[in-house]
Amino acid sequence: MTTTTLTERYISATIRSLPPEAQGDVRAELEASIADAVEARLEQGEAPEAAERAVLTELGDPGALAAGYADRPLYLIGPRYYLMWWRLLKLLLLIVPVCVFGAVALGQVISAAPVGEVISTSILATGGAILHICFWTTLVFVILERSGSTAALTEWNVDQLPEPAQDGAGRSELIASLVFLGISVGALLWDRFRGFVQVDGQALPILDPDLWPWGIGVLLLIIVAEAVFAVVLSRAGRWSPRLAVVNTILAVAFLAWALVLLFTGELVNPDFLAHVEAAGGEGFAAGQAGAADEGGVFRILAVLLGFGVAAGVGWDIVDGWRKAARARRG
Amino acid sequence: MHSNVIGMNETLDTHLQELRRGTVVLACLQLLRTPGYGYSLLEQLEQRGFATDANTLYPLLRRLEKQEYLTSEWNTDEARPRKFYRTSEAGIRLADTLTDEWRSLTAAIASLTAEEH
Repeated sequence: MTTTTLTERYISATIRSLPPEAQGDVRAELEASIADAVEARLEQGEAPEAAERAVLTELGDPGALAAGYADRPLYLIGPRYYLMWWRLLKLLLLIVPVCVFGAVALGQVISAAPVGEVISTSILATGGAILHICFWTTLVFVILERSGSTAALTEWNVDQLPEPAQDGAGRSELIASLVFLGISVGALLWDRFRGFVQVDGQALPILDPDLWPWGIGVLLLIIVAEAVFAVVLSRAGRWSPRLAVVNTILAVAFLAWALVLLFTGELVNPDFLAHVEAAGGEGFAAGQAGAADEGGVFRILAVLLGFGVAAGVGWDIVDGWRKAARARRG
Repeated sequence: MHSNVIGMNETLDTHLQELRRGTVVLACLQLLRTPGYGYSLLEQLEQRGFATDANTLYPLLRRLEKQEYLTSEWNTDEARPRKFYRTSEAGIRLADTLTDEWRSLTAAIASLTAEEH
């Protein structure tokens, strides 16, 4: 008898994952094949135990053999789906974690959580989101791979080629930047001297008049620096790491200016807020009472504005580095 | 010069495997015009210069049977019951097609090396 427990265990391990109707047949065939191979080794003078071991070792991992019988792939995601999986995963990882981080941080700040808690909760939520995205996306594609479905496959064609990306350092970008900066300066002056809001024929500035001259002076300096930067960028004709660094510094300077003034309550004219509160009447008062836990309507608005500015500035910084990286590759 | 030898051997093996892949199917279809069982076929392939691993051959035989290029029958006349495979009509046609393809490839490669000299 050459069929001993080792062979039995090997065959059982192999056929375990096969469809029931194939199991008996594969078992009988494997028994004969293994017995034949062992016999051949015995005839060459090997010891029975060594011969059996050698034959089974040569057959290799029963899992791999079973995969061969069942025509199952020995990979998670094969070439058919790999690119689709990878593109979708990259897209989701680019969008979702940032949105989750922003949304959670915003909610935490509005409900007046301490800074440490805001940061830790946001980071935890973002990490959770990343894990979920990776896991579920991969799981869907593993199932697609194993179900042999071709429903999700789309034939590639030349129309899917990416458009050549704009380098963002041309004449039109320069004009757009300068026009935007000019309008900003105009709006600052208009708000101070003519007033977007008029009360009894008097200008009521939205920005705190106490910002003049120092606070506004710093802002004007930043605006002038932005204008100079736009001209330099246009002259250079393309983004570079050095320009991206300068762009980052300017963006952070503006962000710091806006956030410090916003959260010390020195950005917006208190008279203007009082005017809004008076004009809002009872409805506004009810809103104030409802938002008392969060520090009032104006605090919530300040938080939203702060996040909006931070998001815009963050995008500006990332965009600069992306274009710099692209210019270096191109 | 010797530092690259292992890497070279690995890529060489990969190229040889790529070239040989598929020839085992053709060899099986031709050999099984006379019925044979798993281990005997493994030995025959080895002798004829188509050395194949058992864990590749056995699943391949079942796959070809499922695709109806092989038929099978259990032979219980001897002490050890064995599953005998035989190339079907469709299998013979496939073997002929593959053989033609192999010949035209051989001719194509011969013309390549002929230009060289």
